[in-house]
Amino acid sequence: MVRALRWIVFAIAVLAMNFPIVVTLITSLKSQRELSTNPGLWISQPTLDNYLEVLTHTSRFNIYAYLLNSTVAALIGTGLAIVLAFPAAYAIARSEAGKRLVLPIVINLRAVPLIIFAIPLYMMYQWLGLLDTRIGLGLILTIVNAPLALVILVNAISDVPVELDEAAKVDGASSLQVMMMIVRPVIRPALVTTFIFGFITAWNEFLFGLMLTTSRAVPMTVGASFFFAASGGGVKWGTASAVMMLGALPPALLGLVMYRQISGSMTAGAVKG
Amino acid sequence: MNHLPDAGSRLGVRRVWRIDMALVTRAEGRMYLTPLVGFLLLFLGFPAIVNLIYSVSTVTFETLRSPVLSGFSNYVAVLNDREFWSSAWFSLRFGVLTASAECLIGLFLAIFLAPLLGKRPVLMAPLMLPLMVAPAMVGLMYRLVLHEFAGPVPYYLFEWFGDSPAFLDINNAFRTLVVVETLQWTPFAFLLFYMAYSAIPLDVREASSLDGASPFEIVRWIDLPLMKPTLVIAFFIRFIDGFRVFDNVYALTGSGAGGSTTSLSIYIYQAFFKEGAIGKAVAASVVLFVASFIVLHGLNRLAGRRKL
Repeated sequence: MVRALRWIVFAIAVLAMNFPIVVTLITSLKSQRELSTNPGLWISQPTLDNYLEVLTHTSRFNIYAYLLNSTVAALIGTGLAIVLAFPAAYAIARSEAGKRLVLPIVINLRAVPLIIFAIPLYMMYQWLGLLDTRIGLGLILTIVNAPLALVILVNAISDVPVELDEAAKVDGASSLQVMMMIVRPVIRPALVTTFIFGFITAWNEFLFGLMLTTSRAVPMTVGASFFFAASGGGVKWGTASAVMMLGALPPALLGLVMYRQISGSMTAGAVKG
Repeated sequence: MNHLPDAGSRLGVRRVWRIDMALVTRAEGRMYLTPLVGFLLLFLGFPAIVNLIYSVSTVTFETLRSPVLSGFSNYVAVLNDREFWSSAWFSLRFGVLTASAECLIGLFLAIFLAPLLGKRPVLMAPLMLPLMVAPAMVGLMYRLVLHEFAGPVPYYLFEWFGDSPAFLDINNAFRTLVVVETLQWTPFAFLLFYMAYSAIPLDVREASSLDGASPFEIVRWIDLPLMKPTLVIAFFIRFIDGFRVFDNVYALTGSGAGGSTTSLSIYIYQAFFKEGAIGKAVAASVVLFVASFIVLHGLNRLAGRRKL
């Protein structure tokens, strides 16, 4: 009896929380004609026409460009965050450096509204010619990703037994060699998780994409909102839904496959921080 | 040849060696921190200084590189701007309401669904899916969900009740946004609570059950007190995220509905990009920075005291 109730609550929660995704998926599979008569949650004649149109008619709305921009910027933003955070995390976990100032400041960074820095960054980018470039966007995404990357990696390295480092050190390895050849392979799972989670976060970022790009480097989240703005009042809901599904797909797929690892990293800063 | 020294001498070697040199010397540690710190100084420290200078200057897009110091007039303008205070009020209410709703629902789901999820961990995946989708994208999706002709919600409300409210007009937009934010981020609170709940040893609950405690009493007197730190942290994380909300509000209503959905982040964005009021936007940024610094400082002291 209680078990049945649990299943019912589970079903309601999943449906309610995923409702926009479900509606968008259903709408994306309806034909233009069906849409004008049937806004309900069933489909009488499922079709892939909307996806075909989005993927083939690229003259007005080039989804490939947006997807590519998001991918490149997210890869830079995640890769660079890890490259910067890993040695710092090693130093914090294994020495006295950085514990008192760097770690707390970076952790708190996660809670600071980043819009505070947006305007000077915009001006700085204008001087540097980084406006509307993928690299520029990637560098900002590095800032977005760095705090959580640092927390996850500090936690992971702290869990590695010090004896491992010591053994290598006794054999004559330098601390750089220990970091790269002993610690790095051992915490590989944490590096992968950091990468996946960072990639999802970077892909889903919106504010800086909106402010710092205008045409060449526009990421998917901003591109999708362009699609709405450009079509004015007469939004073609079928194709709009297909755009949203395609834009949401990469992080959603990654998240569904790796949900177990990600749940760990989502809570990392919260539980230990 | 015997390469393995006996346990005693190995221990001795290690003790000596530990005194001789740390695993990572202080200088090396600083070196490893440098790239990250340098990057953060360049991308956050420098902008922070620019913020401070520009906030006490007269500056326009034409004179961007030569700001003229002009005292605190920008701050006065911001603090006298009714829209600034109404957006601050929006952010505060939005943060408190969404964080409370998310924590309450998340807590209920975590405890009530725990037996189900313990046996079938894969059920976590659909519960976590909303966290993987961009808030901006979710905002756009709700434009469809709530659209008066194409959206299923108005459609069914008309079908069943003969009427449907205008979800995004000036009277309802705030409530609609609170629901949208809550539905997307309840999984985050749920996740934290579920992990904290699962970490409570089973025998604690079994023992009190043997002593005759009802399931409700166990939750009230065992689980909740043990989960209290997580409850506090989850509330603050969700409050901060709700307070600085931008993406989904911007995508769903802009600052639309008669300006009734302008959060602080949107206020700053618009002052800069729509009005070109750089000084005002920057001064508002500094005010927000100081406010979040005070909140974070208080929070850290709270956390520090708890550890002692």
